[in-house]
Amino acid sequence: MQQRTFTRTDILAIILVGCMALFVLRLFWLQVVRHDDYVQIAKQTQQRSFVMPAPRGEIYMMDNGKAVPVVLNQTVYTVIADPEIVKDSDKSKIIAALREVASGEMVSSAEELLDKNNSRYEVLARNITRSQAEKLKSKDFSGVGFQRGSIRSYPEGQLGAQLLGFVNHDGDGQYGVEQQLQDKLKGRDGLLQSVTDVRNVPLNVGKDNIRVEPQAGENIVLSVDRNIQSYAEEALKRGVEAAGATNGSVIVMRPDTGQVLAMADFPSFSPGEYYNVEDPSVFMSGTTLVLHEPASVIKSFTMAMGIDQGVISPQTVYQNTDCIAVADRTMCNALRGLGGQRTMQDVLSNSLNVGTITVGRLLGDGQSVNLKARQTMYDYLYEKFGFGKRTGIELAEAKGIVHRPDTGDGDEVRYSAMTFGQSMNLTMVQVASAFNSLVNGGNYYRPTVLAGSVDSEGRADLPDVQPVRRTVAESTSAQVTQMLVDARRSSWIGASDKPGYLIGGKTGTAETVAESGAYTTNETVATYLGFGGSESPEYVIMVRVAAPGKGLRLAGERHAAPIFTDLSNWMIDYMKLAPRR
Amino acid sequence: MRRHRPLYQIALYVGLLLLLGLIVMYAIGPQRANLLNYAYGSSYDDNFFFSKQLISAIIAIVAFAFFAFLPYKVVTEKYAKHIFLGGLALCVLLVFAGAVLNLPFATETNGAYRWIYLGGFGSIQPSEILKFGALVFMAGFLGMRASQGKINDTQETLVPLAIAMGASLFVVVVMQKDLGTGISLLAIILSMLMVAGLGWKLLLKIVGVLVAASLVFVVTAPHRMERVMTFLQGDSNISGVQDDNSYHIAQARIAIGSGGLLGLGIGNSVQATGYLPEAINDSIFAIMGETFGFIGLVGILVLFTALLLSLLHVAARLPDMKLRLVVAGVFGWVGSHVLLNVAAMTGLAPLTGIPLPLLSYGGTSMLFIAAGLGLAFQLSRYTSHKPLTEGGLHGQDSSSRRRVGRTRYASRRSI
Repeated sequence: MQQRTFTRTDILAIILVGCMALFVLRLFWLQVVRHDDYVQIAKQTQQRSFVMPAPRGEIYMMDNGKAVPVVLNQTVYTVIADPEIVKDSDKSKIIAALREVASGEMVSSAEELLDKNNSRYEVLARNITRSQAEKLKSKDFSGVGFQRGSIRSYPEGQLGAQLLGFVNHDGDGQYGVEQQLQDKLKGRDGLLQSVTDVRNVPLNVGKDNIRVEPQAGENIVLSVDRNIQSYAEEALKRGVEAAGATNGSVIVMRPDTGQVLAMADFPSFSPGEYYNVEDPSVFMSGTTLVLHEPASVIKSFTMAMGIDQGVISPQTVYQNTDCIAVADRTMCNALRGLGGQRTMQDVLSNSLNVGTITVGRLLGDGQSVNLKARQTMYDYLYEKFGFGKRTGIELAEAKGIVHRPDTGDGDEVRYSAMTFGQSMNLTMVQVASAFNSLVNGGNYYRPTVLAGSVDSEGRADLPDVQPVRRTVAESTSAQVTQMLVDARRSSWIGASDKPGYLIGGKTGTAETVAESGAYTTNETVATYLGFGGSESPEYVIMVRVAAPGKGLRLAGERHAAPIFTDLSNWMIDYMKLAPRR
Repeated sequence: MRRHRPLYQIALYVGLLLLLGLIVMYAIGPQRANLLNYAYGSSYDDNFFFSKQLISAIIAIVAFAFFAFLPYKVVTEKYAKHIFLGGLALCVLLVFAGAVLNLPFATETNGAYRWIYLGGFGSIQPSEILKFGALVFMAGFLGMRASQGKINDTQETLVPLAIAMGASLFVVVVMQKDLGTGISLLAIILSMLMVAGLGWKLLLKIVGVLVAASLVFVVTAPHRMERVMTFLQGDSNISGVQDDNSYHIAQARIAIGSGGLLGLGIGNSVQATGYLPEAINDSIFAIMGETFGFIGLVGILVLFTALLLSLLHVAARLPDMKLRLVVAGVFGWVGSHVLLNVAAMTGLAPLTGIPLPLLSYGGTSMLFIAAGLGLAFQLSRYTSHKPLTEGGLHGQDSSSRRRVGRTRYASRRSI
């Protein structure tokens, strides 16, 4: 037997088979031994999580008992470009097309952005509509894409801006119900975890894909009536401008439920263009967030306390003087020269501070607003009327402050001033909500901006509202209501009322705190708090007109009351109230 | 030698590989089309790549058949020189037309002119013609020298060979910047020299020179150095991908590794959706690894091994040295593509950008490889039944000679 030698082709075959064997070993290592590692690495690079945004709940206002949308969602598109792919010859065409179709939404530097050849992602236009996007898509530019998004749209424009608030770029509600009811409105975003291609487009392959459907946010129906809100805003604007003032707020409520029918602020803004607002203080609701001293409108409450405690009646007579000594100070009436025997009705009609201090003293030993008087007042103001406490309305609100009677801050001077509405900081919604109880028989309802749920036809299902507490006796409420009617009638301001209706109210002119820290009459704030209705009060309106830092002497009677009258007369028509007699 | 039945396995293996390529292209073509449409705003149909591959496969089969039946002497003797010189000239003209004259048919890819654009007919790569030309021409030349017993002759064999090869490599590697084609050209020649019986010392010298040259070649060009560095870093940087090259390698390995034992199945490749560059061309092996798994890749390697071994089987049995070298060259050609491609995809060698024969998308490469295989198939009709030793007929190997004191038949062991 001859020794077998390898031929050259044998050697090539051996090299070949050797290499192949090496490959097989290598493949075994990669695909079998380290398979799990590579599956992990593949997952890291191939799998993406996508948030499927939940559609935000829409917001409705009432319109004659029917819900109508005031905040909707609008699908918008962002035009993006990949300058690395966009053809040079297309660039001018793209810019021209954008100018033609979406000049308003185009990013001002779009032309330069498109020239960034080493960039892969540039935004050319934001928030264009579907039809604009369709037009651009039809031109079929390579390297130009569209991203879908959603923004809030406001069919009523500026209506109820502070009440509604707005939604920022991150999809979070800011101010108003958008912020306060964010959890309800937002819904729950869905999740899509999927293997994607290199452009992040999800693929149907793979076993570990997860899909959690988004849960749409709840629609919210406000008790606010679109028409009342709209008229309130107009009337407020007219009144503030007529007064030469700069700021104003108005709240309209239903005294029998505590529901807000309108809450308006001047100046206002467009929630759809919140980013154009220069002074962010316009976002703040003047009815729930801004604290102020309500002034003489509080005299109705002082009367109610006195009557409820049985220390006065509307006809109770006292000796009026222009000024009265309180501890180490002297407190005076705004209206002088009415010295002599005066009734409590006169106190309310002529806004006599000395008269309310007298009521305060009668709550104690009759000589001073002593601790007992102060404790009684605190019990009413804080515990019953809810002053200095958050009301629980579905809006961000300030707490305010009513000083306790047993502290140094809650002394006789302060409580004497509190009888005519100074020296305590409250929100309009606190005062108006308590006022509801003064004129509705003594029931305090938690103020609310919600109407309840709506059915598919848009009919609102009003919740069964229950009063949360009693503030004053029913008889007290009846007497105070009548006193307010008489007070309004006794003044020239009642002359403009529609005849045959039950309309009453009280003016307020708040002194402001000057830089020195002392109260001043050089700059005052005008308020008015009243009600109207047919047989019983059916709406409560509170108005506030101010011009901070302008040094204006605004008076309730002249600058706030006309707004009340304007709105009140309109409300009677709008609510189709029948005259009593 | 009398003409007899060809080695049908060659046709079988070629057919199986083409079919496999079509299946994979059918599965990943739509993803590829999608991606290109997105990235370049083109409007490829879902079936574009499959249809084109189908046409390429049909053309490849036609080319295989054509060279299987065209009397081999037409290419191995009559026109060998013309094909070689023609291919070389076409390559030079292409670079000239593109770089100097800026003619539209010379399309530029990555700063190199490799393709002649033929309008609606697609494009062809003249370096493939050059490869085929080098195969038939050098086989003739080296076969003649081997028959004359001058295979180890420096003056008459190695210098002319070095000049022809130097010119070809200069055109392909330097002018066209196509390292892959250069390497397969070298592999064709080295296989021929090996089979032609070039002395071991000379063979080692040539390999030594080539290794030294490639080292210089790598070190002098920063981008090639980078590639080698990327390769040497290996797995350590698989997640922190910094450049295109290491990204390509990492993604290929992810594709192969995530395929596992049995693969994700046809149509379930994720890496083909844009993660892995050149998914349908040079990286098809990795996509197949993802799709068919370890079992599938081993099957593909077995198929290639079987094809290549059958080429060696034919080469070993061809009595005519020229023809034997043709088949050896085809072996070197197909073998170098398979080994380099698979080695790069599995991370055993740096990336060279070389397609996998018969499977990768791409007409010209497939066409000429099929032509070469068709020629080898035809030559399998002229084999003897037993392997022949190289140069044995001409007394180079004394073991085949009749020795003193032996019968005449003793020397006919291998005829």
